[in-house]
Amino acid sequence: MKVGFIGLGVMGRPMALHLQRAGHELAVWARRPDSVADLPARICATPAELGRCCEVVFTVITSSADVEGVALGENGLIEGMAPGSVLVDCSTIAPEAARKIAAQLAGKGIHMLDAPVSGGAQGAIDATLAIMAGGEAEVLERVRPLLDCLGKRIVHVGPNGAGQVAKACNQMIMVAAIQAAAEAMRLAAAAGVDCAKVKQALAGGSAASRVLDVMGERMVQRDFAAGIEARLHHKDFGLVMEAARQSGVPVPLAAVVGQQLNALMAQGWGRDDTASLLRVLELQ
Amino acid sequence: MKIGFIGLGIMGRPMALNLIKGGHEVTVWARRAESMQPLLDAGAKAAASPADAAHGNELVISMVADAPDVAEVMRGVATGAAPGLVAVDMSTIAPAAARKIGEALAAAGVDFVDAPVSGGEVGAIAGTLSIMAGGSQAAFAKARPAFECMGKNIVHVGASGAGQVTKAANQIVTGMGVLAVAEAFAFAAKNGVDRSKVREALLGGFAYSKILENHGQRMLDRNFKPGFKSWMHEKDLNIVMQTAHELGLCLPGSAATAQMFNAMVGSGHGEEDSIAVLKLLESLSGQA
Repeated sequence: MKVGFIGLGVMGRPMALHLQRAGHELAVWARRPDSVADLPARICATPAELGRCCEVVFTVITSSADVEGVALGENGLIEGMAPGSVLVDCSTIAPEAARKIAAQLAGKGIHMLDAPVSGGAQGAIDATLAIMAGGEAEVLERVRPLLDCLGKRIVHVGPNGAGQVAKACNQMIMVAAIQAAAEAMRLAAAAGVDCAKVKQALAGGSAASRVLDVMGERMVQRDFAAGIEARLHHKDFGLVMEAARQSGVPVPLAAVVGQQLNALMAQGWGRDDTASLLRVLELQ
Repeated sequence: MKIGFIGLGIMGRPMALNLIKGGHEVTVWARRAESMQPLLDAGAKAAASPADAAHGNELVISMVADAPDVAEVMRGVATGAAPGLVAVDMSTIAPAAARKIGEALAAAGVDFVDAPVSGGEVGAIAGTLSIMAGGSQAAFAKARPAFECMGKNIVHVGASGAGQVTKAANQIVTGMGVLAVAEAFAFAAKNGVDRSKVREALLGGFAYSKILENHGQRMLDRNFKPGFKSWMHEKDLNIVMQTAHELGLCLPGSAATAQMFNAMVGSGHGEEDSIAVLKLLESLSGQA
């Protein structure tokens, strides 16, 4: 299949390469063309040009505004993509923005799935991402063979926007769990107990979790180099809090965790791993 | 002075009336034409648009709901402005939004002051509002005679946006203050102690505050009529939290408070006074 890819960063690059290795014809667009010069792909001059030569286009970029710009802006995908083609947006953006973009594309007969992912850079490299999709079921079925190249667990959550809602829920649970792990590590250290031993002991019991495994280990090793940059979690918490506000649903724990992320940003650790929440506790 | 006034809601109407009482020549504009009538009866002239409200005036004041409304009316003001016009926005909006509007007006040769208020409808009617202003010294000086008709405690805090920063700080203190008094009362009641006696005792010490005195009394009376509607307080706390997010600023107390207000609006208490947070606490602890 002719597949387009926009957003070839830490997540996007391994994802695009998986598609290419699976035998799909890859086209890419990047704001800085030299950043993709090494890829085995056709390099397009604009998103519109990319749209014209692809049946399915993937985007993995940072913000709602970025996705809107690439999809609907001048020389955007909407100007090039043919009726019946599919945009699969794997970025994490506001559910409302996803719905708006989908509605505008639908006006031209272009399908869209919001399909944010969880699993981090390692999950992208190993093709083990969890993919949470919002959109029409039959559109998802059409692109499922492509998604199978990227991830293990692909769930159709509901209509457009539902994938982004699921991702917001994912981020709430995950970062709160990182904060919980950080507090436990901090408490253990303050009590003069070996953090590595505590982590090892907990791994066998009811507190066992993937976050404790992966992020807890980073905390024990004091390895704060980014798996996922904390600034992205910070950005996502802005989306979570806005969604909670719009629904009039209290999220007291997420609110406090969000403040710890604000402190992390203030320390200049936004490009480090979110395990740095441990370092925020050590400031206090 | 010749003054244009835009936005004649609960706050704007009495504020504009006080300008007329102060001897100013006032032209009014509001989205709903019928809300202009009480002002026209009091001697104001009607404008056909925000641009018209600016036209021929030395000062134009807006008192509307939210940042997009301010931006929209000020775009109109810019097209109707004569050189030397000072535009004042007294709505509560985000500091960043105020600065942006100030820059857009400056490009059109209009000097801008952000001057949000505290004191509620009662203060607006009595002309005793607290006014916290951000903008140039010259623009503030020009607006000052109008401010004096509407308020008592008038402070020029700093440059553009400084008024809104101050108002956000005010909402942090009042939001947490209302929650603190409500929690103290819930604590007293759950311990079987008379809250009115607790209030009376606390008023003499370091826990004294206007909120303990006024809001505390209304909690005892279970008088949840606004006052200040909790959905508006929630909106203002959202400005605080969004600004903190953008700046990388850790505000744990405000964050917890904002969620209580979020829950208040979500559970249908949005049109009640902020003190309805007491009801939320009571239901959480089975005190209803």
